Amino acid sequence: MTDVLDAPADPILERRQAVQAAAASSLRRRKLGSRLALGVCWACLLIAVIPLVAVVVYVVAKGLPAWNVDFFTQPTKPEGIAGGGVSNAIVGTVVITVIAVVVAVPFGLLCGLFLAESDGRFATTLRFTADVMTGIPSITVGIFGYIAIVRNFNAYSGFAGAFAIGFIMLPVIIRAGETAFRGVPRSLNEAAMALGARRATVARRVVVPTALPGVITGVLLAVARGLGETAPLLLTIFGNQYLQWNPSKTMEALPILIYNYSSQPYADLVQVAWGAALLLMVVVLVLSIGSRLLANHLGKVRR
Amino acid sequence: MHITTAIRSKTGRRGASLVALGLAAAALLSACSSSSSSSTTTTTAAPGGTLSANNAAYLAADLKAPGGSLNASGSTFVQPFFTSAFYKYSGLNQALQVNYQGVGSGAGITAFQAGTVAFAASDVPMAAADLAKVPAASGPVIQIPDILGGVTIAYNVPGVSTRLKLDGPTLAGIFDGSITTWNAPQITALNPGVNLPSHAITPEVRADSSGTTYIFSDYLQSANPTTWTLGASKTIAWPSTAVQTPKNSGVAASIQSTPYSIGYVEMSYAIQNKMSYAAVKNSAGVFVVPSPTTVAADADQKIGVTPTSFSIVNEPGAASYPIAGYSWAILLQKQASPTTGAQVVKVLDWTTHTGGGQDLAHSLYYVALPPAVQNQNRTQLLTVTGSNGQALLTK
Amino acid sequence: MTTVDLPPPARTGRRRSLPDNGYKGMLVVVALLVAALAIWFLIAIVIQAKPAFSTLGVGWIFGKTWNPSHGQYGLLPFILGTIESTAIAVALAFPVGLGTAVALAYLVPDRLRPVLSTMVELLAAVPSVVYGLWGLIVLAPVFASTVEPFLTSVLGWTGLFDGPNRGVGLLLAGVILFIMILPTMVAISRDVLAVVPYEQVEGAMALGATRWQVLRKVVLPAARTGILGAFTLATGRALGETVAVALVIGNSPYIAHSIKSPAATIPSLIVNNFGESTGTELSALFGAGLVLLVIGILVNSAARWLVWSTGNDSAGVGIGR
Repeated sequence: MTDVLDAPADPILERRQAVQAAAASSLRRRKLGSRLALGVCWACLLIAVIPLVAVVVYVVAKGLPAWNVDFFTQPTKPEGIAGGGVSNAIVGTVVITVIAVVVAVPFGLLCGLFLAESDGRFATTLRFTADVMTGIPSITVGIFGYIAIVRNFNAYSGFAGAFAIGFIMLPVIIRAGETAFRGVPRSLNEAAMALGARRATVARRVVVPTALPGVITGVLLAVARGLGETAPLLLTIFGNQYLQWNPSKTMEALPILIYNYSSQPYADLVQVAWGAALLLMVVVLVLSIGSRLLANHLGKVRR
Repeated sequence: MHITTAIRSKTGRRGASLVALGLAAAALLSACSSSSSSSTTTTTAAPGGTLSANNAAYLAADLKAPGGSLNASGSTFVQPFFTSAFYKYSGLNQALQVNYQGVGSGAGITAFQAGTVAFAASDVPMAAADLAKVPAASGPVIQIPDILGGVTIAYNVPGVSTRLKLDGPTLAGIFDGSITTWNAPQITALNPGVNLPSHAITPEVRADSSGTTYIFSDYLQSANPTTWTLGASKTIAWPSTAVQTPKNSGVAASIQSTPYSIGYVEMSYAIQNKMSYAAVKNSAGVFVVPSPTTVAADADQKIGVTPTSFSIVNEPGAASYPIAGYSWAILLQKQASPTTGAQVVKVLDWTTHTGGGQDLAHSLYYVALPPAVQNQNRTQLLTVTGSNGQALLTK
Repeated sequence: MTTVDLPPPARTGRRRSLPDNGYKGMLVVVALLVAALAIWFLIAIVIQAKPAFSTLGVGWIFGKTWNPSHGQYGLLPFILGTIESTAIAVALAFPVGLGTAVALAYLVPDRLRPVLSTMVELLAAVPSVVYGLWGLIVLAPVFASTVEPFLTSVLGWTGLFDGPNRGVGLLLAGVILFIMILPTMVAISRDVLAVVPYEQVEGAMALGATRWQVLRKVVLPAARTGILGAFTLATGRALGETVAVALVIGNSPYIAHSIKSPAATIPSLIVNNFGESTGTELSALFGAGLVLLVIGILVNSAARWLVWSTGNDSAGVGIGR
């Protein structure tokens, strides 16, 4: 006891104690700082989740009561008339999206293939252009669609809307396609060519199937993006209260319907609008999550 | 035809009411039996005139329009009425669908000028400058009133539950930014006993080109000829404190979301949304609550409206609500396609007459057109021809 | 495709595939078509905007008054409104988004991670028009009664919070934009944070660094490029958002002198006035669209320069997904 304390001061021991004390206090300080910072990160997560929950709860609460058989099978009806629905908007959205996809996907993927295989100056410029195109505001695409199609044919139409939506989807598909095709290991390409296959065969039988998960993900994401666009459709498809399958005529779409009907003074129209909002939200969510699940699954299968 | 030109060239109420009396007399003389079908519309006063005798025959023929679909766009003022009326029409004539989109009077006129719609609707008829933008090859333009409505002054003042009374000068001050708080002396003077807060006023106005804006600014100009400087137009340079939202429905929603705000919306929007709206002082000095009855009283003071003399704001009469207006349907007199032309005239004829679309007015808080105006409309529609020169409206 | 007289032999791709030249040619044709589309877009907008510039010169872009019925055209209020609303959104989304990404990538227990990640991505699934309506119907009254008075009492000394508490206005628009771009910021950042080489993390921890120190000194710098990429995408989305903003910003064509004032952005200007515009006004709207494009390209380029000048990150993660 006392003899240990009476021992002469050992400079090394003292130094060690000093270092340990400094380390301990530094660790305390750093741990506190770390806890604080991480606490802030948790708070950020909370801040991110709260509006989400608020919005989704609101849309579900206002939209779910609207969902009934009539909602999905009947077109919109004026205020006071029972049995109104959004079938005209569903049909319009589907037709416009399908046309946009049918045109944008082949062009986009082939362009992605081109970019994945080339590195010249033209390819670099094109890649940069596609990048810039992903950032073009949708309203500007809308006014372009109006000038290019509506003005020239003197009529609003589903085609004009599909043109605008396709324009928005195209750069997304190009970039996703290029990323997916570049991800195919070079060795697979070379092996196929060593077997004597032409480039087209290589593309068709090696590159595309291998890149398929990434491609599908990209396409689904592009579709999800196109579904939510309102501004370009406002300027190109005019809207239609009746069921219309013909894309050369004016059509209705879910985002337009939501925009027009949700602030109307009639409760039944407002409810239909929120039902449509819920429908759109669910579809986009299913596409987004589905694309990720599909990518994971296909990726696992490949491996 | 000469009656029409007489109406067009004579401005002023006296000339118009003389003509209206003449029309009524002519109608009485020519008809053996009144054929106007029973309707539940508000009764129009004597100056409104009587419906022409062969109305039912025309209406029956209207329902036999050729099949197809029409696109029309324009005023949101008239949108609730048009949507219901065209839906009812399609129910009776399943072959023809009329697709009406409320995009604002200004956008409707622009679409009409561009030829992308079959007809347009606007709360203010096309002026000479607008008509000049219609391609000359399209020919003359016909504009007919299609419904009568009022513009209410709706507000959202927490804590104030009694109906506010406002007059022309006060409204002008609020909407040009010179009156800035709710407890301003001008407002408290009109509303003694009401506990008005000291909060700032937020005017709520239209962001898009609007016929409703025209009717309201026309009223402000008429009630304040020297002090209202912002003019009467579809687009006004509102003060920077004003919140602008597109469409009647948007303004209504914005008023409901913004406390201490006040704005102008078509009557059916305010009533359906159960908003608070003001009693406005008319030219006789009476504070009148907007309703179909008071709007009709105002319109009855000036029956002979024409595209160049269309304003009915601030009319005399103790029961008149001063902020009222017709909405106008706009179409080409020479229809390039006889099918489309027949569809257009027949639909519009059906919509603008008692026994047809006008029967829906009352339940939607609009006012049906006075019979004299309806007769005038039919006369105008009878002048619409196809490319071969044949009249398209038939009995 | 070549015609063949012999019946096609089984299982060869040879006769059915394009010859190499044809294949390559097809790809080049498609690429040229895409390039042509982009050029057509640019030319169409420029041609439509040209009359405004011939009539009004170039200075009108910086004009302060927008009053077409009196022949006055000025885009400054809308340029400022676009930049200001985006700035508010990004100022909020960058820290909150990064914090959320950190939480999702490192702090959240493994079992909860997919659920919470999906929830944040749900934010991106909500259509933009729904955000605008929710903002107008639900958030605006809350802002008017609670948020704005609180912020004014705390931050009023800055002079930025003058004016009545309306609810709608620049602040609400900025907040709605923040909510809308948050998922972009979070998702990309989280992906980028997750692919930082684990050896570096381990090394730092072995040196005795706390979790936050590891993040701050190792992970975030490594993911710098990707995070800046996320930042760029988020900013681009905020600049171009139309409908949600038009519903909550007040559409007032004046320069906002307070963060609570109603304001307007270029997209809201175009969407509100396009239908009814003709002549010079229509051309001016196309000019506004052109200005918006230029602003977007400038932002994009600035971000790329930032990325380039801060050097390559060791994670080597690129921009975009």
